[in-house]
Amino acid sequence: MTHTRTRPRRVSLDEVLARLGEPEPMVKAKVQDRIDDHSRRFLAHSPFCTMATADAAGRADCSPRGDYPGFVKVLDDHTVALPDRPGNKIADSFRNLAENDGVGLCCLVPGMREVLRINGSGYVTDEPEVLARMRTEAKEPELAIVVEVAEAYFHCGRALIRSRLWDPASQALAEEIPPIGEIAAGQFGAGGDPELLDQLLKDGYRKLY
Amino acid sequence: MQQTVIEGIDGVADDVVALTLRATGGELAPWAPGAHVDLALPNWLTRQYSLCGDPADRDAYRVAVRYDPLSRGGSEYVHRFLRRGRTLDVSLPRNHFPLADAPHYLFLAGGIGITPLLPMLRAATAAGRPATLLYVGPSLDSMPFVDELRRSCGERVRIVETRRQGRPDLDALAATLDEDTLVYCCGPAAMLEAAEAAFPAERLRAERFQPAERSFGPATPFEAVCAGSGDTVAVPADESLLDALAHAGHSLPSGCREGVCGSCEVAVLDGAPEHRDDIGAPEGRMYACVSRALSARLVLDL
Repeated sequence: MTHTRTRPRRVSLDEVLARLGEPEPMVKAKVQDRIDDHSRRFLAHSPFCTMATADAAGRADCSPRGDYPGFVKVLDDHTVALPDRPGNKIADSFRNLAENDGVGLCCLVPGMREVLRINGSGYVTDEPEVLARMRTEAKEPELAIVVEVAEAYFHCGRALIRSRLWDPASQALAEEIPPIGEIAAGQFGAGGDPELLDQLLKDGYRKLY
Repeated sequence: MQQTVIEGIDGVADDVVALTLRATGGELAPWAPGAHVDLALPNWLTRQYSLCGDPADRDAYRVAVRYDPLSRGGSEYVHRFLRRGRTLDVSLPRNHFPLADAPHYLFLAGGIGITPLLPMLRAATAAGRPATLLYVGPSLDSMPFVDELRRSCGERVRIVETRRQGRPDLDALAATLDEDTLVYCCGPAAMLEAAEAAFPAERLRAERFQPAERSFGPATPFEAVCAGSGDTVAVPADESLLDALAHAGHSLPSGCREGVCGSCEVAVLDGAPEHRDDIGAPEGRMYACVSRALSARLVLDL
């Protein structure tokens, strides 16, 4: 089946709030307006985050960012920066930031259930002193994204507990998904040789910086 | 790797901490003045620091780390996030800056560059050789181990605070030296350049912390033959020998990946390497992270 005939029912915000009830006061209080020492230590050990942006019309996008732990650099208590490493050059995040500076980050530390969330406004920089701090394996990124922090807070660990994300046994799930070459061949249409595509992608992965 | 526990993280000057790394089992590997070790930091970075403790103490190593505001994650991690009591893997000591035998020594230290020279001065003093240390920094507050040096080596130590006194005149100093004085210099690039201009190359030994700005011709592809397995590995122009070997299943240890630390040293059995490192590869050796080939193929002892 590729299409549902009737759309799922839409619930209004009032009804949603009525069903969820009030948040605990502690949950509201945990939202910081800065990167405190705990957040700083967390970021120093985080090798991965997702970055959400949206264009002027509100069309949203979320992309993964990964590097050595500490790749999200804390420039000061109110500012962080992420390197832009070689990727697919689609530049969705850059296009969005040019129209709409809203950014949301979810930063993860392998083995840690709680997630550090940072929301703020972002822009692109090529400031040498920022790029110099991102030099990795003898390569500096050409660009970085600066995020001026409006909110930073630790999100509770339930999602990661339920998902068993750090349980090594969970990695068996990946065995049930075909190799990316096969997926690409299916999505690009006829003519793609899955094994060749798989090899091309793997070759591409050799150049990380 | 040797396992140690971080016994002390002590401020020894503004923005400088000394780490005391105690052995967790048996004695630590011996070392001689000028040696450095790699610290395998918890954030996956490997950083090189000169050993600046007492070589006779086989139970602990000491290194000193200056905080760099442009830190790429090494010194920042050590200063802000490293915890006392944590274990830390430390490499075997390597020495690219050994103290050669000489009748007279002059040691030139710039700031944190004191670290390899401190045990050298002690060793030269203990051997009864005339030795002088010129220790240069902006001000006493920023210069580690000044008291320790004054206590142990007294009048052999001359301190210059550039903020008050300006930079020392190395040319004038060179003119007063005995012909057979060996000069050891470790410090920032400007000091190394001044030393290179003032002292004859054959009497100067220098150690760099950061790669010198140099330019090379465009990288060209070549082949690396692994003598042991007979594998031939193609090294494309845009990939390092280190990476190409790793992808072909021949992983070498690696650290800085920019030709400073020497972790990825490999023996060359045939062919002409193009050395792009800052260490000065010994005959028959090369550093796979940066160095390439002048010949179409290299035969490596792998």
